[in-house]
Amino acid sequence: MKPDLRVLVGNPRRPDAGSGLSAHILRLVKSTPERQAIASGQVDAVIDDATGKAFLLPDAQHALREDRTRVRGLLALTSDWCWEQDELHRFVSHTGAASGSSGIFDESIIGKTLRDPPFDSMSEADWRAHRRLLEWRAAFRELELRCTDRAGEMRSVSISGEPIFDEQDQFKGYRGTMRDITVRKQSEALAQKPLRLACDTLDALAVQLCVLDSAGTVILANKPAGAFATGGSGIGAVVPVGDNYLAVCDKARGNERVDGVAIAAEVRQVIAGDSPLFHHEYVCNSPAGRCRFSLTVTAFPGDGAARVVISRENVTERKRAERIPGNAAGRKSGERLPGPGHKVAEGDPIANSLLAALPGKDYQGLLAGFEPVTLTYGEVLFEPGEPIRHVYFPNDSLVSLLTTVEGHEALEVGLVGREGMIGISLVLGMDVSSVRALVQGTGTAMRMNVARFRRQFRKSLPLQGELYRYAHAMLVQARQTAACNRFHAVTGRLARWLLMTHDRARSDQFLLTQKFLADMLGVRRAGVTKAAGTLQQRKLISYSRGKISILDRQGLEAASCGCYEAVRNH
Amino acid sequence: MRKLRRKKTNRSASAPAVTTIVVMRLYIANNAPNSVRAVANLEAICKEHLKDNFKLEIIDVLEYPLRALADGILVTPSLAKMSPSPAAKIIGNLSDKSSVLHALGIVEPVE
Repeated sequence: MKPDLRVLVGNPRRPDAGSGLSAHILRLVKSTPERQAIASGQVDAVIDDATGKAFLLPDAQHALREDRTRVRGLLALTSDWCWEQDELHRFVSHTGAASGSSGIFDESIIGKTLRDPPFDSMSEADWRAHRRLLEWRAAFRELELRCTDRAGEMRSVSISGEPIFDEQDQFKGYRGTMRDITVRKQSEALAQKPLRLACDTLDALAVQLCVLDSAGTVILANKPAGAFATGGSGIGAVVPVGDNYLAVCDKARGNERVDGVAIAAEVRQVIAGDSPLFHHEYVCNSPAGRCRFSLTVTAFPGDGAARVVISRENVTERKRAERIPGNAAGRKSGERLPGPGHKVAEGDPIANSLLAALPGKDYQGLLAGFEPVTLTYGEVLFEPGEPIRHVYFPNDSLVSLLTTVEGHEALEVGLVGREGMIGISLVLGMDVSSVRALVQGTGTAMRMNVARFRRQFRKSLPLQGELYRYAHAMLVQARQTAACNRFHAVTGRLARWLLMTHDRARSDQFLLTQKFLADMLGVRRAGVTKAAGTLQQRKLISYSRGKISILDRQGLEAASCGCYEAVRNH
Repeated sequence: MRKLRRKKTNRSASAPAVTTIVVMRLYIANNAPNSVRAVANLEAICKEHLKDNFKLEIIDVLEYPLRALADGILVTPSLAKMSPSPAAKIIGNLSDKSSVLHALGIVEPVE
């Protein structure tokens, strides 16, 4: 953009220039329309027929000069240097206010290429990519380079360039601008410092963190989360950046399915803004093995892309530590019960009343042989005619003793809970069971093998006393039940059975099907339905879908046959 | 080092043009005020009246003065119509729309 501004005569700015110019033009231009156009100021240039050169008229010349000054001014605003290169990318010219001051782009650059100064921020691959751009004769923008200037300071420059072609469309080199961006680069680096500190802090946390957008895609994860993301699958692993958290939760299979669906639902609620916070604890397989995780879903403040923060902590060890003291359910076999000073308190899971009644010394003697076990509903401890291998002292489990008669369903002849012991026939010298012991209520019990029990039984008089008394009570219960089943109405018998269960189960609610009740009482199902209906009408119990709740215990006692009272007195 | 060439045509192999193509040359002097105005005026007229049926070459006389002399052009801006005949020439910044249309042989539609 360098027009050849040849002035016709003298200086157009001089006052006398106009007249001399007019005379010259009049000599060159002879036809009327052209002279008229010149007179009306519509002509920019006149061509001299004799020399074959074009001359600008003063106004046009002035305007073009203004134009150039303006362009140069704007260029100076946006860049520090202008430069031109030849076909071999050697610098042939450079101009600029900052020329020479910084020592990175001064006279010494002439004849050199961009690769000659010690720019150290570009890798070989970067240069290759740049060279390819030049070979394509493409324009390049804001190529950022860094180098050390004469004073030994690091300086950054930004270079833009476009190719030049001559009139035959031959490539003639490049020209462009260059800016010193050292200050900007320094302030950028400064601005990044707090950000880096924040990122480092997040990475140093033990908690795994990830941030989701509105679609549930992970847009940020800290280092602990990243380390977890590399192994495993399912909800145990952390979802890597770019993947969808919700999709992973929705895809959870097997044991993880319930937790996966729950987490996805929670996250969706928080994203929708329906809830600000959620906690969820779950156990699953993870790259670190089987772990318990505590997961917190928090709404992300602000209107940005980030909508939800999920933090997850591995609480396996902590939970294990919490569970050990005083929790029989979590105790492994071989672990010991509380010592001799231990009092069996109301609400304590180790609450078998036969054991609680023993003096400290006798109780201590038994302790070493005990093994805590969990009895689950439907489990059969003995079958009739089988040798007894273990005796059981229920804590909060409930066991029915059933007698079978050929051709009929089994009939309940005794019910054992925390007040008793299963395997009482051993006390009477029999090591073969005469009944079926069927677990009716899931719970824990203390178990001891038969040989050890015999030794303890022989040694401890208080234990003998307790167990003989209990054996007698069982006998009474069986006799009474036999008579009751023969003579009493189903409603009274059902009330009695519910009261006995209530005494032993420590809960006002039990899960019992009608079929089970019918078997226990030795009646048909229709009979149970009718009896339960009667009790329900009198608002003593409520019964729905196998769930029985005792509403009025005194009323139920009144409704039962006298057998309940007779058995309880023993 | 500047040469302006703007060529527009709708000639295509599949659909031969049925309308006459107007071929013009506009001589200008770089970015001088009247030259810039002339380019703008001519482009507006072509867009309105010729649609794509024209071919325009813009020649900077500061770069190529001899081409102007060859066409008998002494002052810029000047517009020369080469075809269809008769050839015509119009001098100035082309702000007088009717005289430009007349020189190009375009009949202005009656309003």
